[in-house]
Amino acid sequence: MVVSMKRVAAVAAVSMIGLSACSGTGSGSPAVPGETGGAAEGAGVLAKAPVAAAADILPGSTMEKIKQRGELIVGGSLDAPLLSQQNPVTGEVEGFDADMGKALATYIIGEPKVKIVNSASETREALLSNGTVDVVFQTYTITPERAEQVAFAGPYYSSGLTIAVKKGTTGIAKPEDLNGKTVIAGANTPAIPAIKKLAPQAEIVTFGSDPECIQALKQDRGVAYVQDETLLIADAQKDPAVEVVGSPFTTDPYGIGLKHGDDQFKKFVNDWLKKTQSAGVWQGIWKNSIGTVVQGEAPAPPQIGSVPGS
Amino acid sequence: MSVLLDHLPEFWEGLVVTLQLTAASFAGAAVLGLVVTSMRVSPVAVLRGIGTAYVETFQNLPLLVLLVLAVFGLPEIGIKADLLVTAVVVIAVYEAAYIAEALRSGVNAVSAGQGEAARALGLTFGQSLRHVVLPQALRTVIQPLGNVFIALTMNTSLAAAVGVVDLTAAANRVNLIEAQPIPIFVGAGLAYALVAACVGLVTGRLERRLVTAG
Amino acid sequence: MSDLLFDAPGPRARRRIRIATVVGTVVILGLLALAVRQFAAAGQLDPERWQPYATWPMWRYLLGGLWSTVLAAVVAAALAMAAGLALALGRLSRCRWVRLPAAAYIEAVRTIPALLLVYVVLFALPRYGVDLPLFWKLVVPLAVSNAAAFAGVFRAGILSVDKGQGEAGLAVGLTHGQTMRMIVLPQAARRVLPSIVSQSVGLLKDTSLGFVVSYAELLYSGKVLAAYNGLLIQTYIVVALVYLAINGSLSKLARVLETRTQETRAAAADRSRRSTARA
Repeated sequence: MVVSMKRVAAVAAVSMIGLSACSGTGSGSPAVPGETGGAAEGAGVLAKAPVAAAADILPGSTMEKIKQRGELIVGGSLDAPLLSQQNPVTGEVEGFDADMGKALATYIIGEPKVKIVNSASETREALLSNGTVDVVFQTYTITPERAEQVAFAGPYYSSGLTIAVKKGTTGIAKPEDLNGKTVIAGANTPAIPAIKKLAPQAEIVTFGSDPECIQALKQDRGVAYVQDETLLIADAQKDPAVEVVGSPFTTDPYGIGLKHGDDQFKKFVNDWLKKTQSAGVWQGIWKNSIGTVVQGEAPAPPQIGSVPGS
Repeated sequence: MSVLLDHLPEFWEGLVVTLQLTAASFAGAAVLGLVVTSMRVSPVAVLRGIGTAYVETFQNLPLLVLLVLAVFGLPEIGIKADLLVTAVVVIAVYEAAYIAEALRSGVNAVSAGQGEAARALGLTFGQSLRHVVLPQALRTVIQPLGNVFIALTMNTSLAAAVGVVDLTAAANRVNLIEAQPIPIFVGAGLAYALVAACVGLVTGRLERRLVTAG
Repeated sequence: MSDLLFDAPGPRARRRIRIATVVGTVVILGLLALAVRQFAAAGQLDPERWQPYATWPMWRYLLGGLWSTVLAAVVAAALAMAAGLALALGRLSRCRWVRLPAAAYIEAVRTIPALLLVYVVLFALPRYGVDLPLFWKLVVPLAVSNAAAFAGVFRAGILSVDKGQGEAGLAVGLTHGQTMRMIVLPQAARRVLPSIVSQSVGLLKDTSLGFVVSYAELLYSGKVLAAYNGLLIQTYIVVALVYLAINGSLSKLARVLETRTQETRAAAADRSRRSTARA
């Protein structure tokens, strides 16, 4: 078995990205249900959300189709706390991404009517290109490769990967310190290529969801856990056994995924994003979601169109 | 096709892990299944009850749930083993229920006179089970056992969900780099089919040999 | 058979058994207590970690997941049974061009993991323009893989019907198809009912692969709940118990059906023996 263990480790080190459709985003809401209260506050913010002028809904356009349908179909997650997490008590999907989707629906339809199609991150391009969903709000990092298959409006938010360890761990402060160590990552998250690039000698072990990764970290399945900073801050706040070390070492600009080639709709969504930000709605949504775990005021939103591929 | 050749080392490592998972958990499942079967036909009512409860429990739980519970739950009660070892144990415990069920139907198929004759000769319970009943039962259940073995091979792919990098996980990882799902998954599927075909061949030959020998 | 392997234990054996039972029980209970103590020491038994599962909304959510599980299982089972029956008949067909493809399908699919089929539907088909709705991403691979298993069950059932039945059907002038439909299949169906139920338990368990495609079945609902409340182990224990309750009842049904068919067959055999004796 010793030999086999080494083999497993070797495979983990040379190969990339784990199993399945897990969005790999995490945990961060309180253990007691119904405590978030994000829904009520969210409605308050959304009441101020801008609505498009009738002239902006061009005839024959994607937005007109959505308006006639009376519902915006969003590709997203149900299990990403702070971003797009279903509240089992109300059935509502809450978080930054979810509320941005509702704000866009308000802009087009006049009401926050959204249907979330729970999508695996590998199938988002297909969902957009065959028209199953209108837009994707799902920590969809803008890359030039993806931009060949889909169009990106935004970026509407910028985040980065950072490292969490069990409290009291020493010697890990930056990604290079992970070399030669076992590192936990969410299956199929950007953390895996990032670790491979910055710490090629690290052994990566993947689990399907953020709670599983945290549990694995606490049970010493790895010495560090690499994940989106916001999620790790939330995890550390909830679980005193976990702490975040260092600051983000990547920049992941999140874009709004749209059908490739629909320039008219892309311009429309970018206009909406500008108006949402200048009306303070973007900041309010941030405050209600990510702002519940990150101290201070909402950051300045990223410059629209500032990223290759957007 | 070149995708498969380019990533041959990854696929090979994954296949080796799958074979290890399969062989180790089948050996464990066979031993455990034999024990559970003996319990189910034993004179002690409590043992019979435990045997039946064992089969009922593990036949009614999805393997994936068991794997996740074992990987994250066992360390909480102080039992922490390597991921691969944990997966092997869980798959063995799970498949033992199916082996026990197959073996029991084999035991039931042995004609009643055999057991009576064994007892008439003065063999104890253990002796009659070992020398008379089980050898005959095994002969009739080789095909069903082969099916359990094939199912077990397929089920090892679930270990990928708890961090074991087997053939399925290797295929998935390669696909996420190369994005050529058809050759990758067809290749992996063929590898599984090959393993299963070997099992089928072996059990088929065993069955013919044992049946003619009997 | 099982009760023929031993004599009823005598007084000494009974005493030994009783002692062994008591000692064994004490050892097992001791180990269990130790495990529970460890579990509690790790904080996993703290009331606030279990409290959410004493509330209705959590259960409502889980039951919603269970409903999706049942729906996927029922649709997949219906499709797999229909395809399985066709495959079984095909495999027993006298025409080689029907028999060979059916046999090839059954043998090939039996040796491909369902998870891999799920991946094909999840990753490969969308690239060729076939992106099924979430529900079908789970149901199609399950139906494809279980069709082979159901075919095996049906085939065994058809072969178990006494050959004389089919011959009698042909002798009274029925065609091959009529004989199958009116004489062989009804008898086979009754016999394979228990196996069908237990195969369906297997299928219901397989729906937990919905986890992979994010179809909101029971296990995936557990995942969403764990992400919401962070109670990983508690959530999975609760989910396991729900599976156990549902599948346990189904397995019980299979057993009841099995004893009933056995009784009817024994009674029928008894009747025929008596009538032969009279003749």
